[in-house]
Amino acid sequence: MAEEFNTDGMLDMFLFESTQLLEKLEGIILEKQDAECFDDSDINEIFRIMHTIKGSSGIMLFENITKVAHKLEDVFYYLRESRPENVPHLELVQKVLAVSDFVNAEMDKIREGNKSDGDEKEIVADLDAFLKQLKGEIKEQGIKLPRENKHEEPTQFYIAPVASPDSLFYRIVIHYRNDTQMSNIRAYSATYALKEIAEDLLYSPEDIISNEESSEVILSEGFYMLLQTKNSKEDILALIDSVEAEKIDIDQITAEQFGKGLAEINHEPIMPEQPVQAAETPTAAPAAEVPQTDKSKPIAPGDYVVKSKETGKGKTLAKNQPKQQSIISVSIEKMDALMDLIGELVISEAVVLQNPDLKVPGLELSNFQKASGQLAKITTELQETIMSMRMMPLTNTFQKMRRIVFDVSRKLGKEIELEVIGENTEVDKNIIEHISDPLMHLVRNSVDHGIEENADDRVAAGKPAKGTITLEAKNEGGKVYISVKDDGKGLNKEKLYAKAKEKGLLGTKEITDFTENEIYRFITLPGFSTKEAVTEYSGRGVGMDVVVKNIQGIGGRLEITSQEGEGSEMTLIIPLTLAIVNGIVVKVGNSSFVIATSSVKQFVRLSQDAIVTEPSGEEYIILRGTYYPFIRLNKKYQIEDSQEDIENGIVVILEHEGKQICILIDSLVQEQEIVVKPIPPYIKKVRGLSGCTQLGDGSIALILDIAGLIEDEERS
Amino acid sequence: MKTLLAEDDFASRKFMDKYLSQFGECDVTVDGEEAVDAFMMALEADDPYDLVCLDVMMPVLDGYQVLKAIRDIEAGNGTPKEDRVKIIMTTALNEERNVKMAFELGCEAYSGKPIDVEKFEQVLKKMKLI
Repeated sequence: MAEEFNTDGMLDMFLFESTQLLEKLEGIILEKQDAECFDDSDINEIFRIMHTIKGSSGIMLFENITKVAHKLEDVFYYLRESRPENVPHLELVQKVLAVSDFVNAEMDKIREGNKSDGDEKEIVADLDAFLKQLKGEIKEQGIKLPRENKHEEPTQFYIAPVASPDSLFYRIVIHYRNDTQMSNIRAYSATYALKEIAEDLLYSPEDIISNEESSEVILSEGFYMLLQTKNSKEDILALIDSVEAEKIDIDQITAEQFGKGLAEINHEPIMPEQPVQAAETPTAAPAAEVPQTDKSKPIAPGDYVVKSKETGKGKTLAKNQPKQQSIISVSIEKMDALMDLIGELVISEAVVLQNPDLKVPGLELSNFQKASGQLAKITTELQETIMSMRMMPLTNTFQKMRRIVFDVSRKLGKEIELEVIGENTEVDKNIIEHISDPLMHLVRNSVDHGIEENADDRVAAGKPAKGTITLEAKNEGGKVYISVKDDGKGLNKEKLYAKAKEKGLLGTKEITDFTENEIYRFITLPGFSTKEAVTEYSGRGVGMDVVVKNIQGIGGRLEITSQEGEGSEMTLIIPLTLAIVNGIVVKVGNSSFVIATSSVKQFVRLSQDAIVTEPSGEEYIILRGTYYPFIRLNKKYQIEDSQEDIENGIVVILEHEGKQICILIDSLVQEQEIVVKPIPPYIKKVRGLSGCTQLGDGSIALILDIAGLIEDEERS
Repeated sequence: MKTLLAEDDFASRKFMDKYLSQFGECDVTVDGEEAVDAFMMALEADDPYDLVCLDVMMPVLDGYQVLKAIRDIEAGNGTPKEDRVKIIMTTALNEERNVKMAFELGCEAYSGKPIDVEKFEQVLKKMKLI
């Protein structure tokens, strides 16, 4: 979808609509790929889709798209009118997909501001041949050919403005010598000179010609300009008359900074930034003259009369009053900023509500408690609202997987059906972006490695000849589970072990040293691939490790289960949100720690005899017949004045990915929502800690990283 | 090809005037009202324009009003659809609803600014003006 905002409204709309139509088209095609033929409603729908794309691309003057869509529309016209039998269905499916690919590729080019220059001839010729064959078939079946599909040439056209994605933005400051006469006129001539190359130009002070006093402002503060242009710094410098200028500063700024206008950017220093890839066309310039009118209200002739023109000011329009809005699109950056702010709000809420000042004995707080209850309710709602604003269904992501299964299985000559469950599950937009690639990888892997090479092998194993891959998403306990399951040959433990050993990934450990799960996890090691032959789709051994890394990057994990001969299942488990977690605050000595509530199994008080000490000094805890590794946080992090005696402290059992560990803490404080902040980079990485947060009393608590603790323990 | 250009911005006006003049006579007005007047004058003189290029944001009457006025005049005169003057909107306002409205009001083409001269010419050819 048009993620990079193309600011030409019409072009945007064309891209958006066509993308949706194509997605719908692919949906139909892939759903019916294995059917005998398309039914009437499908044919109608495809015809309509192609007709629309043809029409709109015609208006937009993308002739290659028009021609291709036109041809495919023709094909479906004949199918619709004559309903011939024995249409080579698979061939037709491939033709439609080829068209869809072509149009998609062209739209990608357009989206990036390039010319839509794809050559349609081959595909048109191909469709022509198909059409001819189809017509022959129709005649043969004794059906009368319908009259030619009549095409109306579009009578209206839209000429998209020249796209130039490489506009640059500059802030220019000119300081004139103190004795400069009529600096305002000099400044004006500078703006005049720049107008030649400017796509947009703002300057301050604005009234340089009409107001003579502006010359003093220019002398004392300098003359500020914001310039949008395609030219380089050197070009700009060459254009500005520098005779009287003492100093000319030209800084490149971002499109965003440019958009803020002069008032904000004026005097703040500009960090040297990498030149931004400005995704804006020149018309994107925040020209003062574009009316910020309401999207939902219809516009009418007469709304755009230019009322009056004052010198130095932009045009004002009749319809310039702010109005109510029903739907607006908001940039992700703003949403992220809002999210951060809400995080901060949650922290400051805690700071207020748990303020130490409130702990003075004898305070009458009932009104305060009421008010704080209300505040807590509202902040929670606020959080939920922003979360829901960021939620998107997985439908599109899953749609892509359908296509992958289709393509890869055709290429490999395997018959595979994709079953999709829970595609309406909603996930944070950030997460969707991060799981798309890993998921694609898992699906490819399943098609390539999971399902048996040979349908006969499947039948011999008592399975249906056609393989099934199940893609499932669900939402449970604040986590999203997305699983890719195949009913193929499953993972072979011995083979995996042998391979890992051969690659030198294991050292001297025996196969019995590993649990089943650990052996499956070998496939996620870098440089591991059990497939002897590398195929186009997988087997290069890069991939699974990247998948795991990506997933871990968003706080998730990959779980692998498998039954040899019956198939494997890879499950991505991802937290619903990244920034705010429910945590339990605990104390060890004077330090506070936070444990994510979801990883706590239980709290227990144990007596001294529950501890088993090994000769090496390692301690274990036996609880109800199970051994747990035991970590004393005070020892690990050298915390003084804390409980040494297990009987006075509390033991917490933590779980991560099926592994459990016990830690000893002094006391529990409370459960609360925690805004996760990274540990500042000047502190070197400490094992077992994943971040920090601010508590109500303003103190800092460290967030325990259970996975890290367990890993650390295993290493020692 | 005889063209009427309505454009209040000096730079655009100059550019378009130069560009359109290569195809024939080009008259220039600086606001919407003048454009309607010029259109009517040409009709009365029985030397109508082949093409009208309208900016949208203009003083007195905006481009949409001019477009509507011209179509109304033509409807009043009973001009058949195929004989109507070709109208191209030239404007930086290229939100979908702006374009849609212009199409509904009956313009033939809508050209975003800065103008893509290559495509502009392509459209002129499609309209059989050049």
